[in-house]
Amino acid sequence: MNDDLILELKNQIIDALNLEELTPEDIDADAPLFGAGLGLDSIDALELIVILDKNYGIKLASPAEGKAIFKSVAAIAEYVAKNRSR
Amino acid sequence: MQNLSRIGITGLGVICAIGNNADEVLYSLKKGVSGIGPVRYLQTRHTEIPVGEVKLSNREMADMLGLERDRLYSRTSLMGAISIRQALRQTGIRSLAGKRVAVISGTTVGVMDLVENFRPQILRGEIPDNIPSGNECGHSTREMAEFAGIPQAQCCTISTACSSALNSIITGCEMLQRDEADIVIAGGSEALSRFHLNGFNSLMILDKKRCRPFDATRAGLNLGEGAAFVVMQKNPTDALSYVAGYGNRCDAFHQTASSENGDGAFLAMSDALSMAGLRPEDIGYVNAHGTGTPDNDISESRAIRRLFKDTVPPVSSTKAFTGHTTSASGSIEAVICILAIRHGFLPANLGWKNLIEGGIRPTNGKKGVALKYAMCNSFGFGGNDSSIILSGDEFGLQYADGDFAVETLADEKVCDVESFGQLKEYVSPMESRRMGKLMKAAILSAFKALKISGTECPDAIITGTSHGMQETGNRFLDDIIANGEELLSPTLFMQSTHNTIGSSIAIRTGCHGYNITYSQGDDSLGWALKDAREKIRSGRARTVLVGCYDESSEGVDARTLILGRK
Repeated sequence: MNDDLILELKNQIIDALNLEELTPEDIDADAPLFGAGLGLDSIDALELIVILDKNYGIKLASPAEGKAIFKSVAAIAEYVAKNRSR
Repeated sequence: MQNLSRIGITGLGVICAIGNNADEVLYSLKKGVSGIGPVRYLQTRHTEIPVGEVKLSNREMADMLGLERDRLYSRTSLMGAISIRQALRQTGIRSLAGKRVAVISGTTVGVMDLVENFRPQILRGEIPDNIPSGNECGHSTREMAEFAGIPQAQCCTISTACSSALNSIITGCEMLQRDEADIVIAGGSEALSRFHLNGFNSLMILDKKRCRPFDATRAGLNLGEGAAFVVMQKNPTDALSYVAGYGNRCDAFHQTASSENGDGAFLAMSDALSMAGLRPEDIGYVNAHGTGTPDNDISESRAIRRLFKDTVPPVSSTKAFTGHTTSASGSIEAVICILAIRHGFLPANLGWKNLIEGGIRPTNGKKGVALKYAMCNSFGFGGNDSSIILSGDEFGLQYADGDFAVETLADEKVCDVESFGQLKEYVSPMESRRMGKLMKAAILSAFKALKISGTECPDAIITGTSHGMQETGNRFLDDIIANGEELLSPTLFMQSTHNTIGSSIAIRTGCHGYNITYSQGDDSLGWALKDAREKIRSGRARTVLVGCYDESSEGVDARTLILGRK
C-alpha cells in the first residue's frame, strides 16, 4: 500500500532532518524513529510537524500530538493518507 | 583567602509590559494587573499570539530620551537607555566625572528588531546608515550608554540567552570586587522581534492565552520585552539592597530543554546559597524562572524541592505579568525582588489554580511581609542557569581570592572548512548533522584543544563572539521573509543564540561549571580571557576552556585555548 508515500516521506525526512548520510533504503519503514531506532529527538519531532503542515496540509496543535503519530515512517504514512488535505 | 565587601544596589530602573518605571511596575504587581495582551507595536502576522509589549512607541521613547525623532532606533537600545537613566537618577550621584563607569548589558537578539526590517536591503548590499549589518549584541550596549548620556562608559555585553541579564549583574559584582570599576550599571534589555517570536513559535512553546506558570494547564510562554538596570557600588554608605550570593552553572543537557531534575538550576541555587552562607530556610521568597512551558516548570519545581526539601519558601513566577522578557528577564525580576523586599510584599503567581503533580504550589501574593532575603532564578537555552540572592540589609559578599599562576595548556585554531573531516573523531554524524560551519569549526577547535591539554572536562567554559551564529541566524531570518512567518525550521532557531557554542561544548563534555558568553565586538575574546584568567588566578577553577568564534560569508574563524593553573 502506501509505498510511494513512504518513499516520499523518507526523502523529506532525510532532507529536513539533515540526514544526508542516509539513503531511503537505510530507513526501515517499521522501525521506531525516536530513541532506540533512528535516534531522532524532540527538535526532529518539530521538523516532522513542519513537514506534515507544509506538504500535506496537516496541522498538529502540539508536540504531544506528534508523539502518537511519529512512531515509524509507516505510521506517519498511514496518518498522512487518512488526514491529508493536499 | 576570602575577601568580604558589600556590593550595594544604589539605584534601579525598569521598563516592561506592566510599567514604564519602578513605581508603575510596583503598582501593577500589587494590584495584580497583567501587561499581556494583543500585539500592537511589533509588525507581525502572528496577531493570534499574545505578548507583553512595553506600551510606548519608538518615537515616544526617543522623546523621553531627548533623541532625534526621525532616526530609526532599536527598542532594545531605547528601553535600555531609559532604565539606565532611571537607575542613575535614583542614586543621587551628581557627577560621574573622574569615575570609572561600566555598563554591562545582557541581550541575545540585540538590535534585531531594527535589523530584521532591513534584511532585504542588506542582502542587496544597500546598508543604510546607523543600521548594523548583523546581530551584533555589543552594538546595543554602546548605543544604550550613548543614549543615556554616558558615552564614556566601558561597555560589556553578556549573551547567555534568557539568563543574560542576571549574568550581567553577576559579572558586575565581580568587576567591583576586583576594583575594576567605581560604578557598574548592570542589567539587560531585549525588544520583541519577528525573529524570536517566530523562533519560539517554531519550537511550539508559545501559549495562545495568558501564560500559566506552575499550573497543571500551562501550555507555554508569552514573549515579553523590556529592560532593567541596577547601579552597583562597592561599600556604599547606603543602598536599596545588597547582593548576598550568586551562582552560574550549566545544565549541560540539551540546547532547548531542561534536564528532568533541573541539575543546572539546582547547582546554581546551591552555589548562591553557599556563597551567601545562608540556610535554605533563610530565603523568604523565590522569584522563579517559571516560563509556563511544560518542561521548565516541572524541572524547576524539582530543583527547588531538591534544595529546599520540606521548607520550600513562597515561590512565584511573575511572567504572567510581564511575559518572558528573555534576555532582560534576569534583571527585571531581580528588580521585582528588590521592590518586594523594600515594600514588604510577595508578588503573585498571577492566575495560578491547578497544582502540577510533583510541582511546587506558588504563592498567590501577600502584603505586609517582612522579607530579608529573596532569591531570583534565571535560566537560558543551552542550560545557562543562574541564580542570585538579594538582601535587604547590609551584607558582605564573599570573593575567593587566591594568587595562582595561569598558563596556556593548548591553543587551537580552525579557520577552514577542509578540516571538518576531523570532526568525526569527536562527534557522531547524528550529532554533527545540524551544525552550521561556525559550530563545526568551534567544536573541532574545542575538542582538539581539550585533547592536546589532556583535559576531559574543564571546570568552566567561557566564549566570546562578535556576531554569533550568522549563518543559521540569517537563514532563519530569510525563511521568515520567504515563508511569510509560517512553517519555519526550529533547527535553525535553536542554534542561533550566541551561547550555542559554549553550551554545546558543555553538553558534550558534561561540564556543569561556570559558563558564559561575551559579545562585545572585537573585545569579546579580551573579556573572555580576562574572566578565565581571573577564575584560575583566584582559585575558583583549575582549567578553563576559552573560545572565540566568528564567521563571515567568506569563512569561519574559531580559536580555543585551554587555560590552567600552574
